[in-house]
Amino acid sequence: MPPLLHGLSQRCLPARTTLSTAPFRTVLHPLLPRAFTATSLQLSKQMPPRRVILDNEIIENFLRGSGPGGQKINKTSCAVQLKHLPTGIVVKCQETRSRQQNRKIARRLLGDRLEELELGEESRTAVKGREKSKKKKSAEKKRKRKYRALEGKEAGGEGGLEGQGGEDAVDGVEEEGEKVTGGEKAADGGKGG
Amino acid sequence: MPRLATSLLREAYAIHPCLPLLLRPCRDLQAARNELRWLCEHAGKVARLRRAKGRDADPKQLLKRLVQERAAGKPLQYLLGTEFFGDLEIRCQPGVLIPRQETAASVMHLTRLLRAALDLPPELRVLDLCTGTGCIPLLIADELTRCRQDVQLRLLGVDVSDKALRLAQYNLHQTQRKGRLSDTAKVAFIHADLLMEPFDVQPAQTLCLKKAMNYSRVPPFWDVFVSNPPYISPAAYWKTTTRSVRGFEPKLALVPPLPADPATDTEHGDIFYPHLLAMARDVEAKIVLLEVADLAQAGRVAEMAQNMAIFDGIEIWRDQPDQPAEERGAQPSRFPIIGQGNGRSVLCWRARGGSWLGKGPSPVSPLDDARRLWESHRVSSSFFDFKFNSRL
Repeated sequence: MPPLLHGLSQRCLPARTTLSTAPFRTVLHPLLPRAFTATSLQLSKQMPPRRVILDNEIIENFLRGSGPGGQKINKTSCAVQLKHLPTGIVVKCQETRSRQQNRKIARRLLGDRLEELELGEESRTAVKGREKSKKKKSAEKKRKRKYRALEGKEAGGEGGLEGQGGEDAVDGVEEEGEKVTGGEKAADGGKGG
Repeated sequence: MPRLATSLLREAYAIHPCLPLLLRPCRDLQAARNELRWLCEHAGKVARLRRAKGRDADPKQLLKRLVQERAAGKPLQYLLGTEFFGDLEIRCQPGVLIPRQETAASVMHLTRLLRAALDLPPELRVLDLCTGTGCIPLLIADELTRCRQDVQLRLLGVDVSDKALRLAQYNLHQTQRKGRLSDTAKVAFIHADLLMEPFDVQPAQTLCLKKAMNYSRVPPFWDVFVSNPPYISPAAYWKTTTRSVRGFEPKLALVPPLPADPATDTEHGDIFYPHLLAMARDVEAKIVLLEVADLAQAGRVAEMAQNMAIFDGIEIWRDQPDQPAEERGAQPSRFPIIGQGNGRSVLCWRARGGSWLGKGPSPVSPLDDARRLWESHRVSSSFFDFKFNSRL
């Protein structure tokens, strides 16, 4: 199969420029640059702008133990705690060893939490979560389809000598899969509305 | 120190077999988990680098060794090799004091005030004594040049330890390599002993500050004077410092050397401050920021500065000087106390320093300022004469 495909692509490449509806297009799809652009286009979705947190809205605390400091103690923790005064949300961050970085991370976390509260479904985290779950679902679907197809092939191979029946089964599965995606799209539309 | 509860150890062991060991220095599950995470990352990084060089390295073995060293009390910063000071990652080595977060907070507050100043000179000169890793000059350069491209910066770090100076040079190169130091800032480090008087017998390797500055051909006058000297008294060293500080950080950077004259324990801890204030006067510093151990020492240092009668204003800063002041007990103090936390540093200013800090112009005319500097010189030199004679 690979040498044949290679030959096909070589034959088709000059034709591609002139004839856009080449019959081999579906076969050659992974070889064309279009495949890359299609995925990146999906990713570049406009996110809502980040919420700006004013300094007078929050109280910043550097959690420190009581007792002496300075040269006498060598502290490794530099946790930062932010309290948003209007809503009372408290965010704590001790991810990194740098207090400055922790402050930045804590502010971003607080911004996300506030956005969730204010925008609900349209907030950055919600949009990202939805996209992630959609991707996960489609990946799962693809996996299921693949294994069902494999099972079908195996069953077809074992069941009878004719290949026709097996192919039919695969087609059936694919159709089913398409139906499922269609249904999902409708459901998504419902959610969005 | 209370014994660690068995239930806590068991809980820690369930999370990671190395965690109970880390509980020994940390005493707290969350802190131990943070340290374990950082050590794991470090072990992974080191193993990757070693493998890239063709040596075999097992990250698990590496992590085990690191955790054992940490359990023995070795500071995390010495194990990982770096500590964050503001936005900068500063290299640390055994034998040189690890930069502290509180120092960074004070220095950053000072630079934040200076950044807003309107009448900074075309070349601002910053002198840092007892510089250690060189963190303070590097942080000031990084913070100031980012916002003030119009001001040329000249920074000088001074230390008595050769090891510290080598590390400071290394940190300077690293900061330059990362592109964090712009061309408008010149940083240098020189070797000098601050406790040595100009007329003492000078050993071959060590010089007093004045001579060292002459030899290195650096200017004799400086605008901003910062120092984080050794300030722990011998008694406090045994009572209040933690085991990991006592066991692994250099005593040279923590406790001042034994004075020639008999002194009480508190006086022993304060030895550096009269010298530092005299040097600040000699270099005609407009702004002086000295780190101290606590409010009591801050009060004593502020008193010393007041007695010199050359400063327009004196303030005491707590650990977080940028936070609104806390009303704890509100004991009456002669000097305003800014911020939250322990007493951390003493800030003095004179001449144009007041307007740089946003405290308003100096109430004293330049002529009177020069006169009071001269007076202070005379008073202190007669004091030294007296000491000299009494020793004879």
